[in-house]
Amino acid sequence: MADEQKEEFISVEILSKISYNWSMGPYSGSLFTEMKENKKIWGIRCPKCKKLLFPPEAMCGYCFTEVKDDWEEIGDEGTIVQFTKAGMPIFDNRTGKFAFSERPLANIQFDKGPYIMHWLEEKDIEKLRLGMRVKAVWREQGRGRGYEDIMYFRIIEEKK
Amino acid sequence: MANRVAIVGVGRSTQAARRPEVNDAEMINEAVRAALADAQIDINKVQAVLTNSIDGFDNFYLGDCLLVDGTGGYMKSGMKLHTGGTVGSTGAIAAFNMVASGMFDIVLTIGHQKQERGNSMGTLCAAAPGEMREFVQGAIGAFAQAAVQYMKNTGAKLEHAGMVRLKADKNACRNPYAHLRLGLKSIDDVAKSPILIWPLRLLDFCPQSCGACALIVASEKVAKKITKKPVWVADHETVHELQSEVVFGGDEEKSQQIAAKRIYKRNGITNPVRDIDCFEVYEPSSWEEMYLYEHFFLCEHNKGWKMIESGVTEIEREVPVNPSGGVLATNAIGATAMLRIAEAALQIRGDAGEHQVTKDVKTTLSSGLGGTNWTTLVLLKRSL
Amino acid sequence: MMTTKPAKPTTAVIFAGQLMLPYRFEAGRTGSRFLRELRDNKKIMGLKCTKCNKVYVPPRSTCKECFSQIDKWIEVGNEGKLLTYTVLRVARDAEKDVLKKQLPVAYGIIKLDRADTGFVHMLGEVDLDKIKVGMRVKAVFREDERKGNILDINYFKPVSKARKR
Repeated sequence: MADEQKEEFISVEILSKISYNWSMGPYSGSLFTEMKENKKIWGIRCPKCKKLLFPPEAMCGYCFTEVKDDWEEIGDEGTIVQFTKAGMPIFDNRTGKFAFSERPLANIQFDKGPYIMHWLEEKDIEKLRLGMRVKAVWREQGRGRGYEDIMYFRIIEEKK
Repeated sequence: MANRVAIVGVGRSTQAARRPEVNDAEMINEAVRAALADAQIDINKVQAVLTNSIDGFDNFYLGDCLLVDGTGGYMKSGMKLHTGGTVGSTGAIAAFNMVASGMFDIVLTIGHQKQERGNSMGTLCAAAPGEMREFVQGAIGAFAQAAVQYMKNTGAKLEHAGMVRLKADKNACRNPYAHLRLGLKSIDDVAKSPILIWPLRLLDFCPQSCGACALIVASEKVAKKITKKPVWVADHETVHELQSEVVFGGDEEKSQQIAAKRIYKRNGITNPVRDIDCFEVYEPSSWEEMYLYEHFFLCEHNKGWKMIESGVTEIEREVPVNPSGGVLATNAIGATAMLRIAEAALQIRGDAGEHQVTKDVKTTLSSGLGGTNWTTLVLLKRSL
Repeated sequence: MMTTKPAKPTTAVIFAGQLMLPYRFEAGRTGSRFLRELRDNKKIMGLKCTKCNKVYVPPRSTCKECFSQIDKWIEVGNEGKLLTYTVLRVARDAEKDVLKKQLPVAYGIIKLDRADTGFVHMLGEVDLDKIKVGMRVKAVFREDERKGNILDINYFKPVSKARKR
């Protein structure tokens, strides 16, 4: 058919902006302050099941016990357990736009057990291996925004 | 003692990347009418309507009130459930519980999503705590990372993901209600798809669809009156994990394994491959399907890739998994987990049409998967 | 052995941010026809359920009373009755952007003569102190860019009845 009259469907497109203010609570609040001022990462140990909770919270999600005061420094070194890198632009929900990810993303396990998801300094995927040891590279001037106060993790040596 | 519960009607809308010719209520209405026609009952017989989707994923909220003109819920009882990817099955489970309680005889439950509308990855990442939002690359990020670890720990290769996609596509091409029906010929076709998030390709993931699914659930006395082929709900299970432990893959015990152990123990299932005839599992990524083979104890740990390689999970074979094409072919998230139950019910009835599995199906297992890896399971049977 | 521990924060630590999420609403076949008629022909259309004898404006494809699918389109005219109203005097910037009107602005539920349902719209060319429930009103369409949305009707203005009391 030469002349097909296409039915017109009407749609409305908008970008909705939703602001939020996330209360961190006293435990994560302390963590954020320590990260900003002292470039230190802390977890809290559950008095009952002894799991090291990170990020720290008022209660242990595993055994439902209220935490006391058993803060422990986690350090800022760990091992790459998983990693990936976006090949196509990824939607950024903070800007509403698609953007290329500059760096690979990794799941890093601190030596004491908890995980953190963060960027890797090394941009070339071919150079990455599971099991590599990495260390946090901190912002010079902390902003009190927790994980954002670490810029990325740098490879320090390969763990065999 | 709980009352027996059966699924007496199944309805599906067609699914596509965009459905501009219908608004939400109209799209849901398609599935509702199909379910009513399947059960051969009038909307007046329905006592309660559950409207289920993930708020925000398609920037749509309050479906239970805004969608009444399409759901048939006008002046009826009912509610909305909102969880994560499990919401379609959670909505079905809630309907089962309502009927089992004896307080309702016929309940209509609907799963829907219109993903042309919003950005579900953006909203999914928004589920992460504020301070984590910069670092989360959605579910795709989690799946890609898990795959890197899986390939290192086992003999799995990118080709195995291609085999899962090929099976899904072949099955989807036999299902008129599937969204992606690509007609792939070999795993080389999958290998040509661009890298979405290294090392995973676009075709290693599910699409974003617009669609709806509806189930009509009835008590035993009503079910036996209205249909010759009631599909009995034998059991269901839901298990959550901690948000802070979002690590797909790896060796730690997962919610899928806990849920499977519980439901198998309660129902005397000691050998799932022998005791269950067909599986409809929630696999947003072809890699997840391989893990689910392991998590549901269809094969040993770290051997899921061998299972897809063997072909034993094809429609004609002994352990058919996702004969409908699964989530890889169709994913209007709110509907998806309910479709796993709907498709399983059709298999038991022998009504799945071209994608009916070859073997006789008396027992099925349907799974749902949500956000930070929580699990629902529903066990259906032809007779209790 | 670490002896120092993190101090409890003296003020609450708040993480502030924003989400920007896209949204697209599809009017559907039925809704699109209604909106196209507003835009192209300055006509207000309704859908009639012949079983219940009920006319829906804006149109919806399922009758809420009898659940049948309805597709009988009828023109409902531009005049009707004001069922109720309010006057908006304070609004945030985002709301003012949508309404594109100076405050204060009156809006209410209008039932057109041949419709059985009312819908919300704004009132214009009206003295805010003289609005009355039950007042007769008439649609005034935009003459410049109509876009295929409800604001293609600019507002409803009061009309006097031809008959005098």
